[in-house]
Amino acid sequence: MLQLIADGLVVGSVISLGAVGLTLTYSILRFANFGQGEFLTWGAYLAVSALSLTLAVTGAGVMAPIEPFSFGWQLPVAMVASAALTAALALALDWALFARLRRTGSAITLVIASFGAALALRNLLQFLYGTLPEYYTREIQIAIRLVPRDTLGGLRVTPDQMLVLGVTAAAVIGLHLLLTRTTLGRAMRATAQNPALARVAGVDVEGVVRATWVIGAGLAAVAGVMAGLVGQIRPGLGFELLLPLFAAAILGGIGSVWGAVAGGLIVGLAESFSVPLFGAEYRLATAFLVLIAILLLRPRGLFGEKA
Amino acid sequence: MTAALEFCAVEGGYEPGLPILRGASLAVQQGEIVALLGPNGAGKSTLVKAAAGLVPIWSGSVMLGGRDITRVPAHRMVREGLGFVPQTENVFANLSVLENLQLAAALVPKERRGSIDAMFHLFPDLARQRSLPAGRLSGGQRQMVAVARALVASPSVLMLDEPSAGLSPLLVGVVFERLKAVRETGVTILLVEQNVKAALAIADRAAVLVEGRERLVGAASDLADDGRLAGLYLGAGVH
Amino acid sequence: MDALSLLSYLAFFSVFAGIFAIMALGLNLQWGFTGLFNVGVAGFVAIGAYTSALLTGPEDAARFGGFGLPILVGWLGAMVLAGIAAFIVGVAALRLREDYLAITTFGIAVTIQLVALNATAVTGGPFGIQSIPKPLAGWLGTGLAWNLGYLALVLAMLGAVWWGLERLVASPWGRVLRAIREDEAAAASLGKRASAFRLQSFVMGCMVMGLGGALYAHFVGYIAPEDFLPILTFQIWAMLIVGGSGNNAGAVLGAVLVWAIWTVSGGALREMLPVAEQARGAALQVVLIGALIAVILVVRPRGLLGERATVSRHAAKVSPPPS
Repeated sequence: MLQLIADGLVVGSVISLGAVGLTLTYSILRFANFGQGEFLTWGAYLAVSALSLTLAVTGAGVMAPIEPFSFGWQLPVAMVASAALTAALALALDWALFARLRRTGSAITLVIASFGAALALRNLLQFLYGTLPEYYTREIQIAIRLVPRDTLGGLRVTPDQMLVLGVTAAAVIGLHLLLTRTTLGRAMRATAQNPALARVAGVDVEGVVRATWVIGAGLAAVAGVMAGLVGQIRPGLGFELLLPLFAAAILGGIGSVWGAVAGGLIVGLAESFSVPLFGAEYRLATAFLVLIAILLLRPRGLFGEKA
Repeated sequence: MTAALEFCAVEGGYEPGLPILRGASLAVQQGEIVALLGPNGAGKSTLVKAAAGLVPIWSGSVMLGGRDITRVPAHRMVREGLGFVPQTENVFANLSVLENLQLAAALVPKERRGSIDAMFHLFPDLARQRSLPAGRLSGGQRQMVAVARALVASPSVLMLDEPSAGLSPLLVGVVFERLKAVRETGVTILLVEQNVKAALAIADRAAVLVEGRERLVGAASDLADDGRLAGLYLGAGVH
Repeated sequence: MDALSLLSYLAFFSVFAGIFAIMALGLNLQWGFTGLFNVGVAGFVAIGAYTSALLTGPEDAARFGGFGLPILVGWLGAMVLAGIAAFIVGVAALRLREDYLAITTFGIAVTIQLVALNATAVTGGPFGIQSIPKPLAGWLGTGLAWNLGYLALVLAMLGAVWWGLERLVASPWGRVLRAIREDEAAAASLGKRASAFRLQSFVMGCMVMGLGGALYAHFVGYIAPEDFLPILTFQIWAMLIVGGSGNNAGAVLGAVLVWAIWTVSGGALREMLPVAEQARGAALQVVLIGALIAVILVVRPRGLLGERATVSRHAAKVSPPPS
């Protein structure tokens, strides 16, 4: 029982991170970006490359882990580099595709384009990296027993898993402060609410759009690295998370950061609890059930103002 | 003397081939309140939106204090000193009153940045509601937030699109009184209005727009008694 | 290549093009004529394929079915079940924002893929379903004659679907659909009935896709989950966008063109790349087609043929701000 909750929260916090980025781009760019999942995958793989590069440049060969974690200082460096590169990828995609379609097409054209872009990105990644799973580290981590086995089934977590929770909390609090305390954040919220008025008030909406891509893709890259840290890095990593991301963002209410966090944790927990009920093979369908339920019962989401 | 805001034979519209503005010209002098009147569909709102950079201008020009702002993008207008209060959805409903003003102030260079306290002084009602989301305020208070949001960027010219729409007559009076107070601070005002009587009561001059062109321009006191004004409103119905 | 194998290849190519054209027509009803964005085409095609395979296939001790029913029953069953799935998805998603339908259909395609892969007792799991009966094989054998016979069958179905859709679109029902798509005010004045029209169009489009899936299953003779990956959805969309949505001729032209580009580029990559690199080559192929779609969306948003006699494209450029 406790173990299921803990596992659900770890998976849920990865979903939360991705969903926060998704809900931001959804509310400010005004379309459902099917490429968000691929930003997670690219983030995870770009960190693999950045990590090997860092190791090669420093001549370290292998990472010396920082106790109690399974990785050395090179991984955080690689993660930052990967977040920057993923953001650059998103900006390039916006420049080449979405910006042009924003001027001429309907919102739904952007959705089609993002669907095509997602497929192209996923296959490009497969072309570049192949399909074999990758890992940041081969270190085996010993899980720490927090609760003995005779209490509610017991609870064991690895330090890496706890780190994932911590990173998510830090990222979300940071984003919250950005949105509420800075001019850029207020401009982003203003643009999400009313882009025409935002322009009248002096907001450079194209600038806000670029900032949104950078933040959304950066968060996705961090989520991808976290997913890779506690699991395998595979070309399907982000694709398999896409439905949970959408379910979380809609569950929380599009545009609500805290909603996306809550939605992500709920979807993560639901996935975790579905395993003993329906078997691990149907885990991915849980997000679909959550999505259908929320659309039928409360389409504007838990924290959304309006559908 | 250079006009504070001048439209020179402006033609434009949303879609090519469907002009709404058909050569409109109008000069607003420094320190004036000018009311822009006209029947529905005459292009009044379109004219101020075109000046604000929200509607494409095909030909002609818009000058602000002698500078050509025809091709300035909408979001740069506040820096140029042109403020605009749209008719509807003119506040950021999900931002607090204070955040609405903070954002607007932060988006202009320091020398234009007005004091938020001064806005709360001008609109005392808002000071008490400063931390409420603007969307939760009453219609009249929202209109005040919208005006304050534009004023905090210290515009030389303020354009308002039907500030009286949806307000009770009492509130219209209150809002228009505030506009007079705003003019006292040296801001030039161009006011689009359906409420002819209230508009002529505070305006120095008025212009009547019909089918995308100015048809009658004069002192507000003269126009109030001018039979041609009503004629233009009625005549437009024929087309 | 001698004339006979060329003919055989052409028949093979045309059968696929015809089946894809049917699926593209179903999507055209939804997107081209109603403005509904379905990202789960592969899911509805899979439902049709599996349903018909189970209904008509020989009994298999290892799993549920088959029932050995006539092939026509299988095709009808394919359409009905795809329609039911569409109804469920449509009821949940259609009354909401248009992009919620995209997300929900994406979800059902993922879910169907999972079921196909894991519900081994029904779908045969990763190995799929084999020995799906081939209609007319008793008369024509399984060689070139059968390929040509099946091609005739597919073309007849394509013709029937085309004729039916043209009639529908020209009917008062079709005019209402177009009005809903073009004009927010018209949609609003219809209120709940607008949702009902959208739902009908969505369900019918998915039934056509289900039929396409059944035709595919009976041509190839065996199906497996990997036949219904998102790449299939993407191919059908590519066909519609290249040909021009809102135009049935465009959908069919797009199906032939994109399928030709797909097979030729796939063949060329196979020729050029060593065996070890084939998987990467396939990935590159998808990237290139993805780029093609993007270019067409940007450069020629109405596709090659575009829409016939239309008043205006989607009136609203970007959905109004949520207020």
